[in-house]
Amino acid sequence: MLQQKESKAFVILRYTIIALILVAILFPIVWLILTSFKPAEDIMVSPPHFFFKPTLDNYIYALQKANFLMFIKNTLLVAIISTTFVVVLSSLAAYSFARYNPGGGNVLFFILTTKMFPAIAVVLPYFLIFKEIGNTGIGNFLQIGLDKPGALIISYTMFNLPFAIWLMVSFFQDIPRELEDSARLDGYNRLQVLRKVVLPLAMPGIAVTAIFCLIFAWNEFLFAYVLTRDAARTITVGVESFFTLRGILWGPVAAAATISVVPMLIFVLILQRYMVRGLTFGAVRG
Amino acid sequence: MKGNFWKLMCFLIVTVMVISGCGTKATTAPETAAPATTAPETTTCNDADRVPITWSTIAGFYTDAMTSIVKDFEAENCVKVTIVGIDNAQLYDKQIIEAVGETGAYDVYNIETAEKAGFAENGYILPMDDYIAANPDKVAYDDIAPVLADITTKYKGHIWGLPYYTYTQGQFFRQDLFDDPTEQAAFKAKYGYDLKPPETWQQVTDIAEFFTRKAGENLKGVPLTKDFYGIGLMAGPYQEIQDELSGMILYKGTDWLGSDGSILVKDEGNLWALKWYVEKLLPFAPPAALTVTYDGVMNQMQDCQIAMTANFFLDQWPNAANTDNTCPGAKMGIGVGIEKTTYIGAFLMGVSSSSKHPKEAMDFVAYMAGKAAQTKFASMGGSTTRVSVLTDPQFNTAESWWKTGHFAYLLKVFENMKDAKSNLFYSPYGAKLYNAMGLIYHQAAVGEKTPEVVLKELYDTFVNICGGDVCTVNK
Amino acid sequence: MESAVIENTKPAMKKRKTISDGKYAILLIAPAMVIILFFALVPLFYATSVSFRHADLTMGGLQGWVGLDNYRTVLHETKFWSTVKTTLEFTFFAIIVEMTLGIFIAFLIYGATWGKGWIRSLVILPLAMAPAVTGLFWRYLYDTQFGVFNYFISALGLPWHPNWLGDIKLGMISLIIFDTWLWVPFVALIVLAGLQSLPKEPFEAAELDGASTFQVLRTLTAPMLAPVLTLVFILRTIDLLRLYDSVATLTRSGPGDTTETMTYYLYRQGLVFFRMDYASTMALLFMFAVIVASGFALRPLLSRLAKRAGAR
Repeated sequence: MLQQKESKAFVILRYTIIALILVAILFPIVWLILTSFKPAEDIMVSPPHFFFKPTLDNYIYALQKANFLMFIKNTLLVAIISTTFVVVLSSLAAYSFARYNPGGGNVLFFILTTKMFPAIAVVLPYFLIFKEIGNTGIGNFLQIGLDKPGALIISYTMFNLPFAIWLMVSFFQDIPRELEDSARLDGYNRLQVLRKVVLPLAMPGIAVTAIFCLIFAWNEFLFAYVLTRDAARTITVGVESFFTLRGILWGPVAAAATISVVPMLIFVLILQRYMVRGLTFGAVRG
Repeated sequence: MKGNFWKLMCFLIVTVMVISGCGTKATTAPETAAPATTAPETTTCNDADRVPITWSTIAGFYTDAMTSIVKDFEAENCVKVTIVGIDNAQLYDKQIIEAVGETGAYDVYNIETAEKAGFAENGYILPMDDYIAANPDKVAYDDIAPVLADITTKYKGHIWGLPYYTYTQGQFFRQDLFDDPTEQAAFKAKYGYDLKPPETWQQVTDIAEFFTRKAGENLKGVPLTKDFYGIGLMAGPYQEIQDELSGMILYKGTDWLGSDGSILVKDEGNLWALKWYVEKLLPFAPPAALTVTYDGVMNQMQDCQIAMTANFFLDQWPNAANTDNTCPGAKMGIGVGIEKTTYIGAFLMGVSSSSKHPKEAMDFVAYMAGKAAQTKFASMGGSTTRVSVLTDPQFNTAESWWKTGHFAYLLKVFENMKDAKSNLFYSPYGAKLYNAMGLIYHQAAVGEKTPEVVLKELYDTFVNICGGDVCTVNK
Repeated sequence: MESAVIENTKPAMKKRKTISDGKYAILLIAPAMVIILFFALVPLFYATSVSFRHADLTMGGLQGWVGLDNYRTVLHETKFWSTVKTTLEFTFFAIIVEMTLGIFIAFLIYGATWGKGWIRSLVILPLAMAPAVTGLFWRYLYDTQFGVFNYFISALGLPWHPNWLGDIKLGMISLIIFDTWLWVPFVALIVLAGLQSLPKEPFEAAELDGASTFQVLRTLTAPMLAPVLTLVFILRTIDLLRLYDSVATLTRSGPGDTTETMTYYLYRQGLVFFRMDYASTMALLFMFAVIVASGFALRPLLSRLAKRAGAR
């Protein structure tokens, strides 16, 4: 679709609708962030308080008393490393599937079926597997085992690979074969073609995949809860420590959620640039 | 451009690894007692020699109180305690997973009354009889409220742990409403008897109906700015709905299980309880009653929305008492529950059978449930399980009313309920039955199914879980 | 295609025998497949074996072989089928809403000349926030006593007091609204990325030829976008069928059991009642059902893939 010159009215209409949609999407989040600055007596009240005296107490509580920084650090570690693994492995694999389709469609189909198995049913085997690995020397060295980040890194890599591979296959398919062929004719070998021609063009797909893999790792709960106990706990598990016997501490919960979304926002902003079609397109020829 | 992407990723990874490398071994900072270097040491003990003990308990659980009490323990014992706080909803699951996997990750568990028999039957916890016999003064077992000691620690003739926090139910209500002359006159005129805090279920219904008013109508002679409701209920898809029902069921002289293990959930008494709940109480509760549990009810009370609770957890008193601050003109009162029959229970600490340091773990349990710790706990508002602490004069003054006003009522409830103990707590299936009930009762509350249908479904679920129509009960 | 000759024209390259395309293809997928094979198949075999045994973790753990008993029990349970029905209902309505809105938003953003980056970053926020918190927070938003939604409704003067999570007629709708809020950005961003990956030449040519927007949409955009659209549709459908998180955090299968999806029921069987045998059985049944269903849906996609890969 081309960027045709649109009439002014059309542009206004477009942006109005976008604004409305943004309001709908962002309103709960804005309300959550507002809540994080509210003192306790302004939170669970009816009618809701839109005006209040902001306080940083909730943030102080979350960071100091609840040791939230540790959860953020753990989650960052696990999310970034597993996403890197996923992006690298899945790009290679997806390219291969798109160009050569090894195994006919069967291997690809098999990969997707692994997504169809509800995670709860494999929680126990994963627990046992990592318990065993954690007791070995290698496991200890590589930090793989129960309550160690390695277990989560591997698990998240495993969960995201099928999704990433499938997503990227379709992006790779969109890259015209002629570009690769002409690069081969120019003398590049297959790996170089992949590196210099294909990957740059697949950047939007890779960036999108990376974003979602990060998000899924960031927000995963079930395995984080089963495979960690204390030292390796992630944000999603840590947030639950605000659900106390005296009731849910809404202020700190909101503060914790706000804090934990900031790294995500940063990632997305960084990866934004790569979501635009590569400038190297067309540079390979001639 | 792609090169930059990879450089960025490498940079981020290295940064994160450096950050993680530079931190101390991860601890749950304030929840872990730091090596007591500043506290006066009564034992000479190097940090390196300290025996590590991990206690899994409810998250955010009186964190400050627990931390300082744990520090006291560490000062007297060569032990290092790590407190792992887990959300109450996940605590049981997490502990079972670790217990089944025999990982020894937790040395001391936090166990609910209904879960005790299952833990014991499966051999996940160690009996403490010998320890108690060898350390009678440390444990002072007889000081624990007898009915609590019985239902929370005893199974098959052994003692399986010590209770340290009780959530036994009584009732909270807006005393100021009952004291108001306008309301008293109107009530007498309408119902024919004096207005006072309810003692029977019929009175609960009358009073709840009486105080349910729309915005604009008067309450205590002043027009309401928002709707007001006569009663707050925990009818959401949680486990607490059965706690609310339990007092009504026990009042009718029945139970979920018979002492022979027979399943009684659809008998007359149970049916009466559920029907009364759905038809005579829920209509006078806020619509949100169908979606909330105890914290929702406390929020409603503090926001001037309800006149009273049904049978309700007395440990929530500090929250209820706060209503005097948040709701102008409100004054909270406490009761022993309707028909003096309520749900009693406590959390106990039990020692894991896969613990690598059972002796130290038992010392820890004995300490936390012991008089010194319980007194300190009570001073911070914790609902203690020891009679000597509940009767301690320092906790029964006007000043401590806001934190410990419920202590006197806890004692009364223990006295009232001393012979009525639900058989559910003595069945190894207890935890599962308990976990199954909430969502099923909830279906009756929202009107999706009639009480009769729901109880039939509950009965079938019990049969399913127990593998037959008898759920073993071992008193 | 013999590449030995071409290799020699790049003096910087080492002279090595090149491997065949087939082997090259397998080498590329090898690392990913190793992980997938181990961490998917081993647990799968374990779960399968558990489904043929009696396994109650709180009553003695894994026990002996019971053959197909678990399957029979599960398939005869009305509760199981009612959760299946709930899941299917939910999936059907949710996927329609999410795909429609997602595609619409993608086109909307694509055509915007300014601020695309910002809009993209903002739009992803619902998904980027811890679901344990957003689900809980939406419970609070939906609350009849404290929630903002009902406040706005009454502020607008409407005589409607919905009990979003307490009214059995509204429960499913509330869940769909929440899930849509969470996942429409996912659909939108992927479709948007797809739009932005489309090569420009065909469109430039079409403009030169004077084609109308609608014609362009129909003959160019739709077919070229089809693979991405199909992919998103399949991914979302599979995830909707497996819906657990939203139910666990927002509705807990309430009101009543109107939002009890099969996986939530599975979760309760497995991690609350610790009947790993039933949980594994249900998981396997579910997987087979989805495989069969998606086999049909995926066949055109896979054959197109084979065609494009095969055409050299």
